[in-house]
Amino acid sequence: MDYTFQFEQVLPQLPYLLGGALVTLQIAFVTFWAGAVIGVGGAIAKVYGGTGARRIASSYVTFFTNTPALVQVFLLYYALPDAGVLLESMTAVLIGLTLNAGAYLTEIIRAGVISVRRSEMEAAIALGLSRLQILRHVILPHIARTIYAPLSNFFVWLVLGSSVAALFGVEELTGRAINISTANLRSIETFTVIAVIYVALTLVASTSLALVGRWAFRVRAKVF
Amino acid sequence: MFDRILQEAPEFLTVENLVFLAEAAGRTLGMTLIGCSVGMVLGLLIAVLRQSRARALLPLRAVVILYVETFRRIPFLVIIFIVLFVIEPLVPGVSLLGIATVAVCLLSTAFLSEIVRAGLEAVPRQQVEGARTLNFNELQTLVKVILPQAWRVILPPAAAFVVMFIKDTSLASQIGVIELTFAGKMLVNRGFSPVLGFGAILASYFLLSYPLSRLAAALEKRLASP
Repeated sequence: MDYTFQFEQVLPQLPYLLGGALVTLQIAFVTFWAGAVIGVGGAIAKVYGGTGARRIASSYVTFFTNTPALVQVFLLYYALPDAGVLLESMTAVLIGLTLNAGAYLTEIIRAGVISVRRSEMEAAIALGLSRLQILRHVILPHIARTIYAPLSNFFVWLVLGSSVAALFGVEELTGRAINISTANLRSIETFTVIAVIYVALTLVASTSLALVGRWAFRVRAKVF
Repeated sequence: MFDRILQEAPEFLTVENLVFLAEAAGRTLGMTLIGCSVGMVLGLLIAVLRQSRARALLPLRAVVILYVETFRRIPFLVIIFIVLFVIEPLVPGVSLLGIATVAVCLLSTAFLSEIVRAGLEAVPRQQVEGARTLNFNELQTLVKVILPQAWRVILPPAAAFVVMFIKDTSLASQIGVIELTFAGKMLVNRGFSPVLGFGAILASYFLLSYPLSRLAAALEKRLASP
C-alpha cells in the first residue's frame, strides 16, 4: 500500500474550514439555548403540570428521544413543502435539531428540578426567607449545580451532532469539508484535518465550560 | 397533504414494502448489535488496560487513552467518511455495510470503554486489596471480584448507549448502506409522499428504540445501589 498524504492541498483551506467551525458553534449555540427554553417548559410541565400537560410533555420527549435527529430533519425538510411550508435548509436543520435538543434538555432539567429536597425548602422557610429569596438563593443554585455537568456534556454532544446539517447543504465544518474534498479529491486528508478541528473545538468547549462551572457555580467538574 | 397520504396508503402498505422495511431495520439493528458487542469486549480490554499500573504497558496505555479521547470528540459522520476512504482502497470489494459496522465498532469501543471504566472504578479499593491478600492473581481478581460488582454500574448506561446508537446508525445512510434511513429515501424517491415514507421510517426507529429504552430505564431502577 503506497499512499502519500498530501496535506498541502488542504492546509491552505484552513481559514475556510475554521469559518465552518464558527458556523458549527453557532448552530450548537442556537439549538442549545432554544432547546433549553423548550427544556425548561417541558420540565415544569412534567414536574408541576396537570395530567394533560404531563402527558403532552412525556410523549414529546419519548418521540424525539427514540427517533434519529437526521430523519426528523428529513421529515421537516422534505415533507413540510407538501403542507405548503417551504423551509430553507438552515432553518429546517435549526428547527429539527432544536426540537430534538429540547427533548433531551427536558429530561436533564427535570432531573435537576426533582433533585431539590423538601427539607431544603423547609430550612429556607424556617430561616425566614421570602419566596423570591428561596428561589434565588436555594432552588436555582441547587438546580444549577446538579445539571451543570450534564448540560456541558450535552453542549459538546450538540457540537458533534450539528454535523448532520452538512447533509442538507449547510456549510458548517463538515459541509465545507465535503465541498473541499469533492474539489481536490483528497478526502482522507480533508476529513482528518476537520477531525482534528472537531477535537480541538470540543476540547476548548468542555475545558472552558468546566472552568466557568467551577468559578460560577462551584461545580466540581473534572476539566478532563 | 392528508388526501395524498390516504390515497397512497394502500399502495404503500404492500408486503413487498414491508419486507423491504423489515430488512432495512434488520441492517440497522445488526450494525448496532455487532458494533456494540465488539465495542463492549474491546472497551472492557481498554478499561482494564487503563487500570493496570505496569510500567511496560505505558506506551500502549498512552495510545489507548489518545484513541478514546479523540474518537469521543469526532462526529460519527466524519468517522464514517474517514473509515470509508481508508478502507475502500485497502480492501477491494468490501461491502458498505461492513465499512459502516467498522465505523460503529470504532466509536462504540471508545464510548463503552469509558462506561466500563467508570464501573470498574466504582468497586471499592478495599475489595481489590482483599483479593490481593487472598493471593488472587490479576485475572482472578477481575473475574471473581471486580466484574461481579461492576456490572451493576456498567449495564444501565451501556444499555442507554446501545439505544442511542440505533439512532446514530442512521448516518450510515450517507455512504449508501440500505438501512432504515436510506430505505426511507428510496421509498420517497419511488414517488411516495415524504410524509408517508419518512413517517414510516420514524415509526420503525421508534419500534426498535422504545422497548430497548424502557429496558434500559428498568435496569437503571432495578440495579440502582440497593
